[in-house]
Parts: sequence; C-alpha cells; structure tokens
Amino acid sequence: MVLIYFAGIDLGSTMTKVVIIDNDEEIRARVINHTGAEHRRLANKVMEEALEQGGMAFEELTYVIATGYGRMTIPFADRNISELTCHARGVYHYFPGVSLAIDIGGQDAKGLKIKEGKLIDFVMSDKCAAGTGRFLEIIAAALGHKVEDLGSISSRATGKVTISKTCTVFARQEVVTRLSEGASLEDIVVGIHDAIAGRVASMVARLKEGPNVLFTGGVAKNIGVVRALERNLGCEVFVPDEPLLSGAIGAALLGKEITLKAQARGEPAHREKRHLDEATFFT
Amino acid sequence: MACYMGIDIGSGTSKGVIIRDGALEVHHVLPSGTDYRITAQGLRDALISKAGLLAEEIAGIVATGHGGGIIPFNNKHVADMLCCAKGINHVFASARTVIDVQGQSSQVLRLDGEGQVTDFAISEACASYSGYFLEVIADVLQIELGDIGPLSLNARNPVTFTTGCAVFGESEAISRVSEGIPKEDILAGVHNALSGKISALVNRVGLEEPCAISGGGGLNIGLIKRLEKSGIQLLVPPHPHIINALGAAIIARETRNLQ
Repeated sequence: MVLIYFAGIDLGSTMTKVVIIDNDEEIRARVINHTGAEHRRLANKVMEEALEQGGMAFEELTYVIATGYGRMTIPFADRNISELTCHARGVYHYFPGVSLAIDIGGQDAKGLKIKEGKLIDFVMSDKCAAGTGRFLEIIAAALGHKVEDLGSISSRATGKVTISKTCTVFARQEVVTRLSEGASLEDIVVGIHDAIAGRVASMVARLKEGPNVLFTGGVAKNIGVVRALERNLGCEVFVPDEPLLSGAIGAALLGKEITLKAQARGEPAHREKRHLDEATFFT
Repeated sequence: MACYMGIDIGSGTSKGVIIRDGALEVHHVLPSGTDYRITAQGLRDALISKAGLLAEEIAGIVATGHGGGIIPFNNKHVADMLCCAKGINHVFASARTVIDVQGQSSQVLRLDGEGQVTDFAISEACASYSGYFLEVIADVLQIELGDIGPLSLNARNPVTFTTGCAVFGESEAISRVSEGIPKEDILAGVHNALSGKISALVNRVGLEEPCAISGGGGLNIGLIKRLEKSGIQLLVPPHPHIINALGAAIIARETRNLQ
C-alpha cells in the first residue's frame, strides 16, 4: 500500500505543535516550538522541521489541518478546525475511556466533556490570566525560578501557604510578601498550584464529569498541578506522555477521516496549489 | 492655630498633607517602596519641614490606605473609603458620587449632604479595574505615566482590547506594537477599557450628580475625557491624588475636636 501522510498543526498562544501521522495512525514526526511574537508568522518553518524529521516532502501530505489560537493565519492548511474538536479527537486517541479532558495552556483553560470521542459539552476560560499557564509563568518569574521547575520544587514541600488573591497581579505581590515574611518557597509553590487547580476544578464542576480525567496542555507537565487537581477533583488524573500534542494529533487524525470520506465520494480531499508559505498574519 | 496631619500609604505612592485651621497647608508625595514604616516617617518629616513646624505642633495624625495600618506614629487608622468621602466633601461639598481610581483598586462612593457614605461599589479583586492596567501598558510602550493621558487623546483609530485582563492586555499591547500600531491608538484602547470598567462600577451604585473623581486616576486627562464621554460629568479637584490624605487629616481634626 502507498504510504500517505496527514499533518496537524496546532498554533497555540505560547507553543506551536506539528504532528505528522501515516495511514496506520503511526506518528512519523512531532515538533514542538515556541510560537513567540515573531515566530507566529513562521509556522511554515515548524512544518518544514517536521517534514525533515519525518523524511517526506510537503507535497506528500495528503491533508493538513490547522488548529489552535492562530489557526486562521496558516495559509498552507487545507482546512482549519476548532481546537476543541481537535483536542477531543486527540485525547480520545490517547485514552478511549476519557469522559473529562482538562487542558491548561499558556493563555486559557478548557474542560471538555467527551463521550466516545465526541465533544458533548465544554467550558472555557480565556478572559483572565488566573487559572492559565501565564499565572504560573508570572509567579515563577517573581520567585526567581523557571516555570518548568515548579513541579519538582513543590514535591519537596512540607506544608502549604494558601494564596488568597485570584488576580495574577495581586497573587504575585502576595507571593513576594509571603517569601519576605519567611514562608518556605516550596510551601508557597504548593499554594500556587492549589490556586490554579482550584480555579480550574470549579470551572469544570459544571460539566459534572469524571472520574476518567485526562489532563493535557503545557501545564500538565507540572506534577504539582496534577496532584493539586487530584486533590481538588477528588479523583485520579491521567497525563499522556506528551501532553502538548493532543490538539495536533487530533487534527492529523481528523485529516485522515476527512480524506477517507472524500475518497468514498470519489472527490479529491485537499486544496489545489497549496504552498508552504509564511503565515499571513497581518491580513 | 491647630495643625493636623493625614498620611495615605498607597500601593504605589504615599501621600501626606498638613492642614492648618481646617485648610490645606502643605502636601507631599513619595513612592511607597517596600517598607511602609520608613516611607511614613519620611513623609512626616518632609511635611513638617515644608510647613516649617515642629513635630509637637501637630495635634493629631490619621493614617489610611493600603499600608496605613502598620505605620508607627498615627493616632488612628481609618479606612480609605471614609477618608475619600471626607476629603471630597471638603473640596466639593455638593458632590454626591465619587469615583476613586487608585493604583490597585477603584471604588465608587455615593455620599449624602454631610459627606457620609450611603452606598459603594469596590473592585479590588482584579487589577484591570485600577491604574495598574494603565501602568502596565505605559511600561510596554515606554511612556511616562504622566504622559499617557494626553497622548491617548491624539488617537485616530483606538484599538479595541479583546481582553479585560491586565496580564493578557500586556501581551495584546506587545502584539499591537509589533504590528506597527501607533502608541496613541494603543493608549486610547486601554483608557477605553478602564473607563468601561469604571462605568460598570458606577452603574452598580447608580450615578447621582454632581460626581467627583479622586485618586491618581484624577490626574489622567485621558481617563477623565473618556468617563465624560460615557455620560459622567466630573468635578476634578486641584490635587485629586491627595484627597484621601486630606480626608485623613480632616478626620484627625474632627476626632480631636470631639474630645
């Protein structure tokens, strides 16, 4: 059988993710890169990197789906699909029993109620930095640590310093004040993880779902937030090996489904004259 | 000839006044810094020296504001809402509503004829209701805080902020700068956003005119013009940022006279 490929590109607020799968849904390439202010325009470079990793040419991609915050700006995609749909498809691929998917990214948090791979309901918060990855980034900077180290710092804690302020700006001050009063860094970080988890847990409570909870997005790499979510939800929380890729994988899988349906109708799936151009960010 | 002092330790700046025979004598402003006790002492010394007084000549001191509770030499600590009402009533006896825009919160007070607070709405949970939102954007654009109000009035195409969050607003401003949007248009956008939030606070208590503005926000002509455009005519005191300190000094005087 001739190998054909499907690509998903997830242009997030903070990271850009590309996954290329083959006909058997095996992952042939995966790239995660910073979106950045300038790189946002250079999504084609991230795609080139993935093509090089997978050893195929752009023309060999049967279908390309863009998703995420910046999906409208990708000129080389055949179609763009909402990140909610792609996430739902991606998490179902990882974990077919999933009933609730929580995704905490750089600038938003989402809760997806999923039944047999289909999105039934969702809640989303992108109006306020509290409860998103940005909250952790800002607090980490105020504490003088890297955001990726917060998880291991919290593992050494012996207690918890409760953070009372919701607003990221005020919580940052509160953290600095607590530190200057002599509270332990570790206990403060536990308090911060509890603050973000508490906010997200109360947001998803409306969906009344569980206990099969899958946690994705960049923040799912933080073991402290995983544990805090478990405490707040009162159930076990699963994290896939690569929690950033669920949207891109879902997009690639949807590309395959769309192609199969088009072929069944005897139609070509992808757009003609598709070029791997820079994102047209300003138009 | 009795002199009283009011000290307002705010989140960003601290303000102090001395009143003599019930009238403003001198005022002084300092950055609050991290040690409010030192800031308060610095304010007190500067005020006394400006007024040419001796420390013993101050008959009473009232402290207020974010850090007003911990300064060592006040006779009394009074909530900033009461000081604001008292200060505005002193300057504009007719005012029935006050919009107090501070560095980290905003409050809208309804007043009766005696300057007593009859109702209020306060927003202190979210930084985007306060001067902080303007400061963040001024920082991104590298413009002095004192210049942002006038500059915002030169906007041709004000940007619309899609977020009401000060943290996300900062990234949005950075994106607009990188797209080559003029600074004036970005400034107009953030002033519009703040003005919208303050209007919502006003609606919570209902507007009764005349309405006055106090706090650091009262120094910003861009904010004042936008609030007026949304239908709120404003009385602007000569020194809006020292209103709470002034109110504190008046309360010190009244407390003393009662005794």
